[in-house]
Amino acid sequence: MIALRIGLAALFLMVAVTVQTSVLSNIAVAGVTCDLTLIVVIALALSRGPEWGAIAGFVGGLLLDIVPPADHTAGRWALSLAIAGYVAGLIRRETSSGPVGPLGVALTVVLGTAISFFIYSATGSLLHDPSVDWGEFGVRLGIAAGYDVVGAIVVIPLVMWIMGRVQPARERRVVP
Amino acid sequence: MLKDLGTPARSAIRSAGAPLRATGMPRQVRRRRSVLALVILACFTLIVLDARRSAGSPVEPLREAAAGVFGPLESTASSARQPVDDLRDRFAEMDRLKAENEKLKQDNENLTRELNTSDYARNRAQELDKLLKVAPAYTMTPARVIGIGGAQTFSHTVTIDAGTADGVRTDMTVMNGTGLVGRVVRTTTGTATVLLIGDRNSTVGGRLNSSMALGFVSGRGDVAGTLDYKLVDPKARPKVGDRIVTWGSSGNAPYVPGVPIGVVTSVTPNEGSLGSTATIKPYVDPTRIDTVGVVTGPPARPPRGHLPGKGN
Repeated sequence: MIALRIGLAALFLMVAVTVQTSVLSNIAVAGVTCDLTLIVVIALALSRGPEWGAIAGFVGGLLLDIVPPADHTAGRWALSLAIAGYVAGLIRRETSSGPVGPLGVALTVVLGTAISFFIYSATGSLLHDPSVDWGEFGVRLGIAAGYDVVGAIVVIPLVMWIMGRVQPARERRVVP
Repeated sequence: MLKDLGTPARSAIRSAGAPLRATGMPRQVRRRRSVLALVILACFTLIVLDARRSAGSPVEPLREAAAGVFGPLESTASSARQPVDDLRDRFAEMDRLKAENEKLKQDNENLTRELNTSDYARNRAQELDKLLKVAPAYTMTPARVIGIGGAQTFSHTVTIDAGTADGVRTDMTVMNGTGLVGRVVRTTTGTATVLLIGDRNSTVGGRLNSSMALGFVSGRGDVAGTLDYKLVDPKARPKVGDRIVTWGSSGNAPYVPGVPIGVVTSVTPNEGSLGSTATIKPYVDPTRIDTVGVVTGPPARPPRGHLPGKGN
């Protein structure tokens, strides 16, 4: 069961990275693509908690860092998505009495987008990457957050439903 | 998976050893935080290892492997979105690609011819004229864009589906039917990463078509790929509507000469210094790149060196 869950999570992340770099970039809004990887990380975090969020974020971000056409210092997206995933997992834990509602999910996605994009840009500034442009930061964050919420409406229920199906019997027994 | 890590025996020892911490912080929280700390540590290690690029990053093999796995995946995904892209002329797609390929070759020839007849050539002394007449049909490797970086990454890079197996190496010029696209910055067996000219890290030597003045074209990093153009000679004034072509690098790497870059849309005097900066609209729309050509081969004859020209 554990292996199945890890395999599923890895599969989700790989599909997300592939689709994000080669399909979604063709329907970008003002150049901003939908962060499908971030959405999957948040979905995993919301269904499994902060540890999963952090680790899934690290793996997904690492993929974004090394899969072409990435040309920045590796580890920046990994750090951003790991922290965003951890925070998303914490949100799930705070409201663990019931499932996170649609509004909660949307807010989590906006928060995750803001955290990851900020950390990515900040690490770029710290590393003196000349391509980071703080003047564009606000606009791109706004578009990205909106776009991610739209993507999340489709992706998060799907991922959470599948992850819920493969929940271990031990955890399922608690519910009834 | 992580929930099963802490055995009762271990936690008993721990709570006996540090009773204050154990009561103040539940075991789950401690484990959660140590996972976060580990992950963050791993990220910083990666960043530090990869940041010093000149020394050869240990992340490079990782990138190679990732490109090996994801290159074909991206390629497949790109082919899958083609019908989605224009469902109406789904069958025209193949023809369109073929026609585009044909056009690419045609354009390359036209480019050479155009250079011979444009003001670029007319303004030049005889040796450059001669040079342009032998101006070489470069060997081009056609390639398709299979991955585009989002604006969130701030960098303007694309992946193409040609790599070292097709003769693509780093620092090769990439162009399409309308003009200069960028240069190859990273290659693997089956894919290559192209830095577009609109990236802030990109600088291209550009020549004003009308006055032959030399300058540097640098990317501004915005979505439309707008470029800044600074002339070497502070007294030279670019005019709106002037066209700019590459003046080429030594050894034709990373840029071959004579490829159109863009057209001047506005000119603003530099503040506090001589000269002026021109804004350039590139011929190539960075969001609409599909089929490109990589200049993989040298021209039939080297354009420089054979000519006894002076002042070149």
